[in-house]
Amino acid sequence: MVTYIIRRLIGALAMLFVVSAVTFSIFFVVPRLAGVTPDDMANRYVGRAATAANVQATAQKLGLYDPVVVQYGRWVKGVFVGSEYDYGAGVEHCPAPCLGYSFVTKQPVWPDLVDRLPVTLSLAAGASVIWLVIGVSVGVLSALKRRSIFDRGAMIIALAGVSLPPFFTGLVALSLLSYGLGITAPGGAYVPLSENPAQWAYSLILPWLTLAFLNAAAYARLTRAGMLDTMGEDYIRTARAKGLKESKVIGKHGLRAALTPIVTIFGLDVGILVGGAILTENAFSLQGLGKYATTAIAANDLPKIMGFTMLAAFFIVVANLIVDLLYAVVDPRVRLS
Amino acid sequence: MKKKALVVSAAGAVLALGLSACGGGGTSTPAATEGGGSTSAPSAGAAGFNAGLENVTNPSDAKGGTLKMAVTEDWDSIDPGDTYYGMSWNLLRIYGRPLVTYNPAPGAKGRELVPDLAESLGVSSDEGKTWTYKLRAGLKYEDGSPITSKDVKYAVLRQLDKETFVNGPTYFNDWLDLPKDFKSVYKTPDVNTDSAIETPDDQTIVFHLNKPYSGFDNFAALPATVPVPQAKDTGIKYRDHVMASGPYMFETVEQGSRYVLVRNPNWDPATDPIRKALPDKYEISLGVEANDLDNRIIAGDLHVDIAGTGVQPAALGSIQADPALRERADNPVSARTWYISILNDNPPLDNVECRKAVIYAADRVGLQNAYGGQLAGDIATSLMPSGIGGWKKLDLYPTGSGDEAKAKEALTACGQPNGFETTMTFRSDRPKEQAAAESMQQALAKVGIKLTLKGFPTSEYFTAYAGKPAYTKANGIGLATNGWGADWNDGFGFLSQIVDSRTIREAGNYNLSVKDPAIDALVDKAFGTSETAARDAVWGEIDQKVMEGAYVLPAVYAKGLLLRGKGVTNQFVTGAFDMYDYLALGVQQ
Amino acid sequence: MTAPLDVSGDELKATPESVAEGAGAKAIQGRSLGQIAWMRLKRDKVALTGAGVIIFLILVAIFAPLIVGWFGHPPNQFNQDQIDTMTMIPKGGSGISWDYLFGVEPVNGRDLFSRVVYGARISLLIAFLATLLSVLIGTVMGVIAGYFGGWVDMIISRLMDIFLAFPVLVFAMALVGVLGQFETQLQVKGDSLRILLLIFVIGFFNWGYIARIIRGQTLSLREREFVDAARSLGARGPYILFKEILPNLIAPILIYATLLIPTNVLFEAALSFLGVGIQPPTATWGGMLAAATKYYTVPHFMFFPGMAIFITVLAFNLFGDGLRDALDPRSGR
Repeated sequence: MVTYIIRRLIGALAMLFVVSAVTFSIFFVVPRLAGVTPDDMANRYVGRAATAANVQATAQKLGLYDPVVVQYGRWVKGVFVGSEYDYGAGVEHCPAPCLGYSFVTKQPVWPDLVDRLPVTLSLAAGASVIWLVIGVSVGVLSALKRRSIFDRGAMIIALAGVSLPPFFTGLVALSLLSYGLGITAPGGAYVPLSENPAQWAYSLILPWLTLAFLNAAAYARLTRAGMLDTMGEDYIRTARAKGLKESKVIGKHGLRAALTPIVTIFGLDVGILVGGAILTENAFSLQGLGKYATTAIAANDLPKIMGFTMLAAFFIVVANLIVDLLYAVVDPRVRLS
Repeated sequence: MKKKALVVSAAGAVLALGLSACGGGGTSTPAATEGGGSTSAPSAGAAGFNAGLENVTNPSDAKGGTLKMAVTEDWDSIDPGDTYYGMSWNLLRIYGRPLVTYNPAPGAKGRELVPDLAESLGVSSDEGKTWTYKLRAGLKYEDGSPITSKDVKYAVLRQLDKETFVNGPTYFNDWLDLPKDFKSVYKTPDVNTDSAIETPDDQTIVFHLNKPYSGFDNFAALPATVPVPQAKDTGIKYRDHVMASGPYMFETVEQGSRYVLVRNPNWDPATDPIRKALPDKYEISLGVEANDLDNRIIAGDLHVDIAGTGVQPAALGSIQADPALRERADNPVSARTWYISILNDNPPLDNVECRKAVIYAADRVGLQNAYGGQLAGDIATSLMPSGIGGWKKLDLYPTGSGDEAKAKEALTACGQPNGFETTMTFRSDRPKEQAAAESMQQALAKVGIKLTLKGFPTSEYFTAYAGKPAYTKANGIGLATNGWGADWNDGFGFLSQIVDSRTIREAGNYNLSVKDPAIDALVDKAFGTSETAARDAVWGEIDQKVMEGAYVLPAVYAKGLLLRGKGVTNQFVTGAFDMYDYLALGVQQ
Repeated sequence: MTAPLDVSGDELKATPESVAEGAGAKAIQGRSLGQIAWMRLKRDKVALTGAGVIIFLILVAIFAPLIVGWFGHPPNQFNQDQIDTMTMIPKGGSGISWDYLFGVEPVNGRDLFSRVVYGARISLLIAFLATLLSVLIGTVMGVIAGYFGGWVDMIISRLMDIFLAFPVLVFAMALVGVLGQFETQLQVKGDSLRILLLIFVIGFFNWGYIARIIRGQTLSLREREFVDAARSLGARGPYILFKEILPNLIAPILIYATLLIPTNVLFEAALSFLGVGIQPPTATWGGMLAAATKYYTVPHFMFFPGMAIFITVLAFNLFGDGLRDALDPRSGR
């Protein structure tokens, strides 16, 4: 088990390397192949009143004239040993892990990411609990009352959630509940958990529900399918024949097996979500990683995009690792070879 | 299906109810009495639609409270030496004081320049090449240290370094008589720069230009003249702690998400005749979702949308539908034109008749609708907006829904009687520009001009596509949506960056299509004319030449539908920025 | 476009309908999985309704020009007489009338009915093909990784992780940056290139998700009693893979595919918004949803394209459920 974990950790590190290299080449190599010159790239970052000299100076300063490999090497070096940055009036050392400085705002990327992480974590934590609970319980009930009105109704509501983009549901929810009825917090209201847990939950309840509405369907559908599968298994029949209570049959035997795929997608979804719920954060003006990514993408701010991508990748890798370990717990038959 | 429709429309009704419930009447909060009993009586200030254009609405001298402002996107920088957004030029005056600034007064009076750090407007000599200002006595930074003319000089010199401060305008770079060996205050700190700016004593500053300019006070009003103490300058990091010279200083700076400003204890009202400094605190949120921002202003959760360009389409509809909300709205004309560049690099648009055909065929009403309708702009007849000196109404082209007969005539004259094909670019993240492009496609198809539409993100639009001649030539781009706002309200402030062909570079151009030696010559003539009326006339002539050459198809002179905040006092639209003036605002408690 | 039907079609081809329909005595002698499934499916009214709706949608897409010719106006035609020029929203709120069945768009007054009908073409095409691509790659990779395990699993799993860890939106953005340049170099234009590109981007970068689920399922199926039993009876790899494991994977695959379709329609919306989508004025459901957000106070603008997506999703889920039930050897009733 321990060696397995260690091996996976090393694998995870290697993966992050690959992701960083791929991301870097997508943003630095592919444009070059398409004929974008370093000056063209620098041009995005020199503001409205740029002269040719400014553009070249900026390209020089951002190191865009160097071969891409050298640029990538500099980025990797920054992550491990830190890097220097000329802020005009002097040179600043950015300690490891230095993900570079924004090309646009000139802010170091790493502290920004750290600042915004709690918002996204709060959003992901609350939303995922809600959709997991709702999704799984609706799924189980639907499976037990198969083809009933409840089953059909639950499915239709769940599917409506998948069909609507959160930027729309969020906007309408805010208009009706926050500004119309005044029962939920307005957009952009975020209170840190450490400051006031009740306010924290109040300020986030609407984003949680919006996000949960989007994701609960998949869980309900998968749980229902999994339950139907397992409830037809021989061992369930055996359990029933033994005279076990139905609740125990369902809870201990049925649900457990049905949860295998749920664990997989839950791990993935949470991993992806912690990397930034882009649309929901935008709809509710939450200053999390997703919002950060949106700004970065809109401004083509490469160091920010790199930093965000790496952090998102990190969470997904960690989530994968946890999922694989959980498999062993949920389904002991899976060997950790 | 039917049931769902009912639910949705019921939801809409609830929304409307909620809005009107919130929109009714003035303040629901009891009037606290910190500043005495001077909360506004309805009769004292004007109220109603457009009341803020010419009057101070809800006037009051009551101090205290927190003014909540928000903006949908981050702006370039809060460093006065590094910003090029109108909203930040307006706002930064609460924490920074330039030599000269715009009079905080409604309407056209707001365009008048008044001395701020300086005792009076600039005194010129040497036929407009030398400009002298004297600072007021007793000026202090937030830390109590004195503000001297050397700080103003340093502030102007530091922002010349466009490698470090990439955002600001380059007027001082272009006009100051700088020594050849001067690179930047950081790289060449020891070079003597007295040929450009002299500071004979701590109160006096003298600017020397390389060519005469009679409107130099416009330069002195740029944020670049907000003083920066050299000892506290940290280059690009200065934006993390800007030293306040105005009545407010930064308490919290979270770049990209939040700023909080509180009173600057060392600001002395005796040195500052123009600022009322009413609120105790400013809270500024960044990155607020656009529709949510409007909703929060309607509901009273926010006071001011800093961007000042007008509400989103959804709120525009709500405001029109609700008389109580309409009472709170103003609809000023801005010094900004939305237009379509007609690129003359590729045939057949190299022929002026073909360009004219495009203008004749265009549905001008449709374009106005695309940009948001009557409340979002008046149909433009020329490039230069109507509020700018020297503007005259041109009548070169019809402004109806497209003149097919004249367009066909022009097409025949240019040898393309059956029309032609070309490509039009637009900014894909701007729905209004997309609508404009779609309108052009529909209108031009009627005379046989077939448009292919191509959208690109704003961040790349000028640097990699529409503003890059190599790209537009290779890809046969004929039309491109464009827009421009004045840096200040005269011909120079509006036109100089977008009609002078000599400013066109390899990429990143805003002037996409005006390449005419006759116009370049007129620009030089305008620079060299010192008498205001004569100079304005030259800019007006340039405007006419641009239209005669059919280099652009003007769409609208932009207007914004602004919403006054609930419980905000002294709110009015300043002619300097065509948005609410941010110096005078107060908040009822 | 007919992807999900094809999946079931392949399953059924082996056994002609007539056999399955056969008399009781004969049937008892042994019906294949496909035969049983088909019989069950035919009894499932709800699933058949789902299938009917899917066919209907496909027909709508194919005959869009005819339908619009009868009931609507050209999809890109402006009808600005329908618009209130002060607010830019349709007169009377939605503009719904016998002339404009679904009302008109704000600003330019385009016929919403026509645009929804035309939107079906591109939206369904992109969503179906992208889903098919993801499911195909995901299933193959997932089964191989889960079944063979060892270093094969290691490599494929890491590959999945890389694809998963990579934000698709970011890749799409990079694509915008170079697409214009590539179009110049390749001398290609128009919607068809964009459609192919979107299918590729959406489909190819989404297979990791489904692959992980399939791998997990395969992993646990591999250890099940019935597989052990088959193995001990001397069954070999391919037999176990196709006869024992794959049939048991059909349920999650179907559910995933049916849930992926709306996701992909919405993904197309996000891409339209970023400017990599289909270029205007071509109508797509996703593009309409993105545009409607700006006018969220005009509910009909969002309602009809949203409803179109919802009906598509619902139909696929109903049909998918029926199919799943029919194919599941254990779900007796």
